[in-house]
Amino acid sequence: MQKENLQIDAILVLGDKHIAVELRYNSKFSMLVRFTEEFDYTTGFEFDKLILEVDEEKIDLGRCRLFLEPNIDGYTGHITFVNDVYDFENLFFNQKIVKLQSIFSNLPLILSHKKDIKQAFKDYTSELNYDLNVYKNLFDKLDKEYANEPKSVKDSVQKAIIATEGKKFMAFLDKKLDELNALVVGYNKQEHENHGYYFRKQLWNIILCSKMMKRTNLKPRGYAGDSEMMRLIYLNDAQGKSTFSKLMHLHPVGLPGAEAVRNRRKLIVNKINTLEKDDLKEGKTKILSVACGPAFELQDIVRSPKDFEKLHFTLLDQDRAALYEAATVINQLEKSFKAELKVNYLTESVRTMLTTRELNKKWGQFDFIYSLGLFDYLTPPVAKAVLKKLYQILKPGGEIIIGNFHVSNPSRVFMEYWLDWVLYYRSESDFLELLDPEWKIEKSVYFEDTKVQMFLQIKKL
Amino acid sequence: MNTTLTLIKRPEWEYIEEVRNECNLFFKSHNFSENDSHSLMMTISELMENSIKYGTFSNPDAMVEILVKILRFQVQIEILNPVADSDKHYLHKLDRTIQWIRGFQDPFEAFIERLRLVSKKPLDDIESGLGLVRIAYEGKAVLDFFVDEKNVLNVSAIVDISNS
Ligand SMILES: Nc1ncnc2c1ncn2[C@@H]1O[C@H](COP(=O)(O)OP(=O)(O)OP(=O)(O)O)[C@@H](O)[C@H]1O
Ligand SMILES: [Mg+2]
Repeated sequence: MQKENLQIDAILVLGDKHIAVELRYNSKFSMLVRFTEEFDYTTGFEFDKLILEVDEEKIDLGRCRLFLEPNIDGYTGHITFVNDVYDFENLFFNQKIVKLQSIFSNLPLILSHKKDIKQAFKDYTSELNYDLNVYKNLFDKLDKEYANEPKSVKDSVQKAIIATEGKKFMAFLDKKLDELNALVVGYNKQEHENHGYYFRKQLWNIILCSKMMKRTNLKPRGYAGDSEMMRLIYLNDAQGKSTFSKLMHLHPVGLPGAEAVRNRRKLIVNKINTLEKDDLKEGKTKILSVACGPAFELQDIVRSPKDFEKLHFTLLDQDRAALYEAATVINQLEKSFKAELKVNYLTESVRTMLTTRELNKKWGQFDFIYSLGLFDYLTPPVAKAVLKKLYQILKPGGEIIIGNFHVSNPSRVFMEYWLDWVLYYRSESDFLELLDPEWKIEKSVYFEDTKVQMFLQIKKL
Repeated sequence: MNTTLTLIKRPEWEYIEEVRNECNLFFKSHNFSENDSHSLMMTISELMENSIKYGTFSNPDAMVEILVKILRFQVQIEILNPVADSDKHYLHKLDRTIQWIRGFQDPFEAFIERLRLVSKKPLDDIESGLGLVRIAYEGKAVLDFFVDEKNVLNVSAIVDISNS
C-alpha cells in the first residue's frame, strides 16, 4: 500500500462553533489532527461531531475525542470516535468510509431468514447435528488413543477403524441422506434455497471437517467444480487427517453424483480411442474440449507414440490455473514419450468466446468436440448460443458430445444442501430443445452407468 | 394467446417506464399475480438499466432489445444491447458477478454479502452492484449471459413458475 497519504480538510463542531482542522492518517483506527487556528482544548476533550470534506461532499462521522500528542510532524494530536469504529486505512488510501459495525447491521435480516423453516426440518437438522457431533467425539477420542504410535502403525489402525466402525458410520450417513431426500421432496425452489441455507448454517462445523465439502462451500476459485475438486473426485480416496474428516470426505466422493463424473471421463476416453482407429483419415484428428478444466482425461487418451502423430487438441477454459494444470499433464506425457503433442490453449469464458478470433477464423473446424461439466451451468438461451457455435465449427461427419446432469440425479439434494453446489439440470427433452431443427444431424441422448450423467451426441451430416 | 413479447427501445432512461407498462399488460393478459408480475418487472427494469449504463451505443440506430417468453414452467427474459471491444472489463465483471451469485444455493447469501460491501463503498462509486443480486434474490431468477459474434450482449433471467 502506498503510504503517501492525502490530507483531508474537516470541521470539528462544538455547539454552534465550527473549527477548521486538517487530518492525516495515523493508524487504522485513529487520525492525526492539526488545528488551523489557536485553541485551548485539553486531552480527552469531546466534540459533537467531525465533518469531512471530500470532493465537495460533507460526511458526518459523529462524536469524537481529541488526544494531545504534540510534535508529530507538526500535528497537534490524534482523534478517535466515540460511537463508531471507522477503518481509516480505507478512508485515506482507498477513499472508502468503512464502519466496522456495519458487519452487524444485517443481523436482523439474517436472523429473520429462518422464520419460514419448517419444524420437521429443524428437528431433523438438530438431531443430525447432535448425532454427528457424538460420532465426531468418538472418532476423535479413538484417534487420540493411538496418536503416539509410529506412523505405519497409526495408518493401519486408522484403516481398520475406517473399515469397521467407519463403515457403520457411512451407513448411518446414507440413512440420514435418505431421510433428508424424503423430507424435502415436496419443497419448491425457494423452500429448498431457504432450508439449504439454514442446514449449512447449523452444520457448518461439520462441513468444515470434510475436504470436499469445505471446498465446494468456500469456492476458493469462485466456483465449486474447480480442477482441485475434479482431482479429489477422480482420486476417490480418504483425504483429511482425522478419521472423522476422512469419513466425511469418503462419503460424498462415493455418491452417485461423483461416480457419474468418473464415468463420463471414461466415456470420452473410449470415444476418442475409437475415433483414432479410423486410420484411413489423413492428417491429424482435431479435438476441441470446451471448459476443459485440468483435462486429466488426456492421460488416458494419449498412450502411444501414434497418438502424438494423430491427435491435435484445443483446450478452452476460463480458469487460467486449470489450463496451467492441463499443460503440466501434457508436459509430463511429452517427457515420458519424448514426443510433442499438438495443443492450442485459450483462456476465455464460454460466455464471451463467440467473439474471439481464434474460434471464428484461426482454428478452423474440428473433427470432435466435447464439453463435460459446462452445460450444467448454462441456462437455455446461453446453452443454445454455445451449441450453435460448436455446430458451426464442427466438420461435416464430425461429432459433438455434451454432458449434463439429469434432473433425476439422486445426489441432487445432497449436492445442494451439503455442498452448496447448484446445477442447471436437464431432462432429455430439455436437452433436445437446444438443437436447431434446421440442422442436418444424427442425434442421440444416452446415459452412463449411474444414469446421473446424460449425454447429447450429434453427428453433422 | 401470444406467449412472446419483443420490445425494441432507444437506450434512454425514460423508456424504462414504458417498458414496465407494456410488460405489465403482457403479464396481466397471462393472468400473472400482481406479486409475480411486479418481481418480473423489477428484473426487466434492472437489466434494462444496466444495458443503458454499460452498453455501447455509438451507432445512432443502436437499440436495447427486450424479449419475454412465457413457457410452461418458466419465464425467460432476455435483454440485448451492443457492446464494444473496450467493454471487456465490464463483461468480465458481469461474468464474475453472475457466477458468484449462482455459486450460492440461496441467493440470499449473495444479497447479504453485497449489502455488507455496499456499506463499504467508495465515496464516489456509482456502481452499487445491487442490481443483479436483487434479480437473483427478490426476482428469484437464474441469471446468465453471452456475447454473440456481432458483439451483442444477451443477459438473461430465467424464472421458475412451476408452482404458480
Ligand atoms: N449490460 C451490461 N453490460 C456490461 N456490463 C454489465 C451489464 N450489466 C452489468 N454489468 C456489470 O456487472 C456489474 C454488476 O451489475 P449490477 O446491476 O449488479 O450493479 P450496478 O449496475 O453496478 O449497480 P446498481 O444496479 O445497484 O445500480 C456492473 O457494475 C457492471 O460492471
Ligand atoms: Mg445495475
